[in-house]
Amino acid sequence: MIETRKLTKCYGAFSAVDGIDLKIKPGEIYGFLGPNGAGKTSTIMMLLGVIRPTSGEITLFGERYRPGRLDLRRRIGVVPENHPKGVWTWMTAFEYLKMFADLFAVKDAGPRIDFLLEQVGLREVRNKKISEFSRGMLQKLSITRALLHDPDILFLDEPISGLDPIGIKQVRDLIMSENREGRTIFISSHLLSEMEKICHRVAIIFQGRLMAEDRMEFLLSKLAQDREIQVDLESLPAELPEQMASLPFVLGTASMDNTLVVKVPKEGDFRKEISAFMIKLNLVPLRIQESSLSLEEAFVTITNKNIEMFADLGGHHES
Amino acid sequence: MNHRSHATRVLTLRRLQETLLSPGFYVAQVVGLFAGVYLITRFAASVDSSGFNFALDPVYDLIGRSLQGTFGQAFAAKLFSEGPFLFVLYMSFLPVLVYLALSSVFRFGLEKKAGAVELITYGPADGTACLLSYFVKDFLLTLTHLAVLIVFFAVAAALNNLVLGPLFFYSLGLLFFIALAVYAYGMLTTVLAPGNPASALAVFIGLLVFFLILMLGSFTVVSGYVRSLAATLAWIVQWFSPAYYWSLGFRAMETGNLPFFLLTVLLLSILTAAILTASHLIIKTRGVKA
Repeated sequence: MIETRKLTKCYGAFSAVDGIDLKIKPGEIYGFLGPNGAGKTSTIMMLLGVIRPTSGEITLFGERYRPGRLDLRRRIGVVPENHPKGVWTWMTAFEYLKMFADLFAVKDAGPRIDFLLEQVGLREVRNKKISEFSRGMLQKLSITRALLHDPDILFLDEPISGLDPIGIKQVRDLIMSENREGRTIFISSHLLSEMEKICHRVAIIFQGRLMAEDRMEFLLSKLAQDREIQVDLESLPAELPEQMASLPFVLGTASMDNTLVVKVPKEGDFRKEISAFMIKLNLVPLRIQESSLSLEEAFVTITNKNIEMFADLGGHHES
Repeated sequence: MNHRSHATRVLTLRRLQETLLSPGFYVAQVVGLFAGVYLITRFAASVDSSGFNFALDPVYDLIGRSLQGTFGQAFAAKLFSEGPFLFVLYMSFLPVLVYLALSSVFRFGLEKKAGAVELITYGPADGTACLLSYFVKDFLLTLTHLAVLIVFFAVAAALNNLVLGPLFFYSLGLLFFIALAVYAYGMLTTVLAPGNPASALAVFIGLLVFFLILMLGSFTVVSGYVRSLAATLAWIVQWFSPAYYWSLGFRAMETGNLPFFLLTVLLLSILTAAILTASHLIIKTRGVKA
């Protein structure tokens, strides 16, 4: 759906984006992560045709994209991080959406607007001035606006930042439901725990370079050095960690209260063996759970390490 | 209709709605018309058996002295040769011209700074459609205002047993094209000026003041204070000044030289088109971010 090749953006001598290759597939939720100043915004602006790349290529829907291709831009919906302040304040939600519906030449705009407002829970306030809207309401209005023309892909920049927990859930549900209907979603966000919940694939950009791009589970397993299995017991005998360490696949143990943490290699499922060992010792495991690397940990790992070390993570896994 | 034309049309309608729903445009019109009514009323007091005389009315005395001091006696005499309407036309037109030009510069600057232009360009629109929508909005409102002025002056002339002379009608056309060039400069300064709308406004006002000084300077040059380099530079720059085209057009009107008047209008239109093209190229290259 979207592909970039050696996409580069320089501001003078500074390379904000340094030859990155992205591939966003139809129907997926693609997370785009990076710390501040990593080149995220410049990349998105190039993908949206707002700024021109210094070099490299963008292919959108199979066609070469450049600023000015308004026909291709028509197939994109964009939700910026912030709603513009101090403009259009005299408009009601309906008038605001009608303006954009007219821009996109949406047929039967009225019913479409009402349908989308109903979906995001803003139907009741369709005639309220947008200057009276809260941040959460503006965010939902922004998503509604971006969906008006039924775009093939939706770009969301920090869609849940600043929202309360209910707002976050509503926006998350909306994103998931749009994706279930086949819409491709591109999300840029700092809220990694949320990204982990909804993204199929993620890309991590750092200092203008693409550090990783992969399916979530592949990326996390690739970055994890080893795995940890947590065993909750009714009571934890003092000698158990040592006894467990004698097993051939155990790399290390740790204990806290009634929980034993067993480090095992990345490959293989050892829960069965651990469970059998416990039973042999007349212990009853209440819960055996594998703790995996979180996206947040993966992100920190990547951004903290040397660029060269992670250059080989740029390979793709086909889904 | 291509995407840009469609976007320009939609945005123009919204901007017209925005302007017509706010009081600014009407206030500027009312100020202009009140100034017109006042000046026409005072004009009667400046006429005696020998005709129009500035000195007979204190307001016209002040106006006459200012005009003669700035533009010369011949110009001032010509301005009132058809009665009060030519001068009053300028006075009634000016508030609307200033309001439309400044408000568009400010609004466009504000939209750029707030990210609204960027938001619009995510859709099937671009920066050019945004700036053109402001220009077309001002174009249409200026036409509307000129139509109001024609009706107003026709009624005022009939009530005062006066007629609207050819200079008046020439001036209507000239003012319209000068206004378009001023609006185009407004768009150019907005795309060039970085940051907030106030800086765009300051640059724009500075530019207009510069053109005015240049025009007034040309009257001084005629008086004999010629410095060759400054005069050459001024000669080059004046071709970019709407005020210069006004003086050219006025000269053509004075002499009743229609081809010269049409040439002036043509050159003014070319200047406007060139400014808009430059604005389009700049916004295309630099993008719509403030």
